Amino acid sequence: MNDLVTIFISMALINNFVLARFLGLCPFLGVSKKLSSAVSMGLAVIMVMTVASIVTWLLYHVLLVPFGVEYITTVMFILVIASLVQILELTIRRTNIPLYNALGIYLPLITTNCAVLGVTLINTREDFTFLETVVSALGGGIGFTLVLAMMSGIRERLQLADTPRSFKGLPNAFLVAMLLGLCFLAFGGMV
Amino acid sequence: MDPLTILIIIFLTLVGLGCGIAIFLANRFLPEEDKLLKRTEEISKYLPGMNCGACGMPGCFAYAGELAKDVDTLNKYPCMTLMNDKERLKSFGEYLGIDLVGSGQKKVAIVHCAGDSETLYDYRGVGTCKAASQLSSGHKKCPYWRVGLGGCVGVCPVGAVSYDRGKGDAYLEPNKCIGCGLCVKECPRNLIEIVPADMPQYLACNYLSKKNIPGRERCSIGCIHCRMCVRASEHDEVSWDEKKDLPYFDPEKRLPAPAAIEKCPKKVIFKRDVS
Repeated sequence: MNDLVTIFISMALINNFVLARFLGLCPFLGVSKKLSSAVSMGLAVIMVMTVASIVTWLLYHVLLVPFGVEYITTVMFILVIASLVQILELTIRRTNIPLYNALGIYLPLITTNCAVLGVTLINTREDFTFLETVVSALGGGIGFTLVLAMMSGIRERLQLADTPRSFKGLPNAFLVAMLLGLCFLAFGGMV
Repeated sequence: MDPLTILIIIFLTLVGLGCGIAIFLANRFLPEEDKLLKRTEEISKYLPGMNCGACGMPGCFAYAGELAKDVDTLNKYPCMTLMNDKERLKSFGEYLGIDLVGSGQKKVAIVHCAGDSETLYDYRGVGTCKAASQLSSGHKKCPYWRVGLGGCVGVCPVGAVSYDRGKGDAYLEPNKCIGCGLCVKECPRNLIEIVPADMPQYLACNYLSKKNIPGRERCSIGCIHCRMCVRASEHDEVSWDEKKDLPYFDPEKRLPAPAAIEKCPKKVIFKRDVS
């Protein structure tokens, strides 16, 4: 149990995907203009990460490890994640229209989000058990959502703030990203 | 070949095949897609898709959603761009099973001003036409003159209005205009009107009131309300709008009035290039 909590905190805060591992940086800057869309994106990422981790864990331990061909994990995981997102999108679209409208364009975008591939590869590298995999994926997704929400909240307010003209827009976002990264640096060595 | 390589090839093929089959199965056995969403998507294929927002909805997809719920939206909030596009309208009519072509007619915007009124004072306020026109009825001598800060340029979805900042004039290219009517709502002076595309002429002045000093005092080509055009007309192609005190060309009949254009002492009736 203690282990699971450690993994969760490590994935969400200490080794945060965006600010410590530098994965999933495109949505971090691209989808962080509005808080509502940032949260939608985050929720979609949490869902895809968890499902992808479960499926890839099964594939890895059933197919790859017994035959000793672990070195094709990347290729296989890309294949699996891409089609998984497609199936997930189809399912949501057919069964839950409000959720589909809320996630909107972000669901297919996740296919190319490296954080999702990252979490599956980290899970296999760390040799997690099934439960640990699920917890680590959840932690990673929640950490990603947290950072995205923080970033978009700050950027929303910065848009109204009186900043130097040449810093308006993306330069401000980079400065904010730098400060956020420094903040998250403080989590290092917590566990 | 190395047996391990063959194994890898088989694995990847199997996983790929499995994923493909899974998507196929999901597509096949999941419950039917929501009918409204499906219809919305089908309808949105027939819409212009440039999201100008002239219909009042946030973009073409939202408009398609409203159409999917109720086809009567087409009458209540017409999409001018669609109405102007004969081929698109025809195919859309075929999809809906209604004859839409008969109801549609290509329309364009015209600007009822071509004047050169003098500037009264140097305006340095908020740079929009609406703001400028509220300060002592504008910074130009003529209170009906286009404000010239380019509000119509900003809203045009197809870039049919170009803008000369130095002179403060906006020019409208009739060939590019789709008749969406966004600029009509934007203009604080109500100078822009949507008319049928084959309207043969129009009055390039909107100097309404006869109580005020006539347009000639403020502009070199303002209407002076002399009614010469009405007298020159032979088959009622020009009538007089008593309310506005300006000549009126019936957009229903669309009769050409070459005599009126000829006789107008201020040359303020503009012939349109109808082809």
